[in-house]
Amino acid sequence: MFGYVRPPLDGLPQEDAERFRRAYCGLCHALSRRGAAARCVLNYDFTLLAILLSDGEGASDKRRCIVRPVRPRPVLSPTAALELAADESLILAYWKLRDNVRDDGLAKGLASRTACAFLRGAYENAASDRPEFAGRVRAQLDVLRGMEAERVASIDAPADAFAALLRDAARDVAPAARRRVLEEILYHLGRWVYLIDAADDLKQDAASGAYNPVALRYGLSGGRWTDAARQEFSVVLSHSLQRIAAAFELWDFGAWNPLLERIFYSGLFQVSRAVLDGAFHKKRIESEANE
Amino acid sequence: MKDPYAVLGVSETAADEEIKRAYRELARKYHPDNYQNNPLADLAEEKMKEINAAYEEINKHRAGGRSDYQSYQSARPSSAGGAYYEARYNSSASPDLQRIRREIQTGNLTEAETLLNRCPERNAEWYFLRGALRQKRGWMDDARQDYQRACQMDPTNLEYRQALHYMNHGPARTYSPFGTLGDLCAANLCANACFNPWCLCPMFCCWS
Repeated sequence: MFGYVRPPLDGLPQEDAERFRRAYCGLCHALSRRGAAARCVLNYDFTLLAILLSDGEGASDKRRCIVRPVRPRPVLSPTAALELAADESLILAYWKLRDNVRDDGLAKGLASRTACAFLRGAYENAASDRPEFAGRVRAQLDVLRGMEAERVASIDAPADAFAALLRDAARDVAPAARRRVLEEILYHLGRWVYLIDAADDLKQDAASGAYNPVALRYGLSGGRWTDAARQEFSVVLSHSLQRIAAAFELWDFGAWNPLLERIFYSGLFQVSRAVLDGAFHKKRIESEANE
Repeated sequence: MKDPYAVLGVSETAADEEIKRAYRELARKYHPDNYQNNPLADLAEEKMKEINAAYEEINKHRAGGRSDYQSYQSARPSSAGGAYYEARYNSSASPDLQRIRREIQTGNLTEAETLLNRCPERNAEWYFLRGALRQKRGWMDDARQDYQRACQMDPTNLEYRQALHYMNHGPARTYSPFGTLGDLCAANLCANACFNPWCLCPMFCCWS
């Protein structure tokens, strides 16, 4: 489900692209303090979470890593915010995987099961330090699972159950104005991730008979959009993206501003458009091949 | 008070024209139209006040104490926005619904929901208010359906139709540094006929 956030790095000034990379690497290092396995949950979505939770950019130091064992590179130095983001990412990713184990068929389920076992030590490390967050994620995913079992034909209700998970990541942020801004951004980001994931899986879910809130809500058959449904759904998505942008403007994110502006005003739209056109998976594979 | 030039993001030596441009850009960004039924509307209003005060301060200073400029009003709906609405501008027929309006406006959403559920009569206004509650929470699809229901039950109510219009067309004209934010929706919604009979399209679309 995670993996839809794409910073439009191509159009970004070198300085901002490099700043994003330092955060990505910083998060990776913060994850690995929970065990080497924790690194595999690293992605752009969680990097965005780490950037949002970090108040300003913070210092960097040079470090080596598995990917770059020879030449050390500057990465964000560990801070409480970065460690919080790393632990929350790990907890979210772990429970999402656990969820997949029950969801998927035998072959895929086996893959998720293996990944889960692989992550278990790192997860327990993180969860023992953040028991409340881990408990809430687990409870919230149960709520979501209940809705899936009932095959709820609403898109707002299950999206809310998922979005609340992300919003919760900012629960202890101070001061109140910053917390409210972050909660709004994270809620709508979570909502967007859930909805875009459902739209992206339309065909696959139609073939397997899996629950898909978008297909049920708009009465789509065979995983195919109707023009009217696609239009309605795109308006629903753009409302959430507008709420993210409107919230973003109400807090000064310092050095992160240009990068976040790019992601919120342009990156999320590009991904939305690609998913609605059915071009997203292809793009993902292409960009990975080019890396 | 904060440095008014810093608030507008311009240098002290900036030309009047540049200051005006910076002010206009910020006023567009924090305009109430962008924060309709938004849980952060109060923060945006504070921003708007801060920007207005800074602009006022600079102008007063430059005019040698005279204030002969015009600033945007912070909480006035724009005449061109069309779709602007806020529950507070209208009053309800029943005291129960009036109270629910107040709770939604002040952000007591849980309380508003409890009161809504307790309401024995589900009239057009009830659906409108539940739509407003849902919109504030971010339940955009359900909110739209509630507004639609309210419009079906009372097609003459302008407040309901404005709310539905906004939900149907998305935030197409809201602020973005890269052009229109709403271009995710099929090229131009207004170029295509709107199939919703309750929507205000014929009245409002020509402005975009």
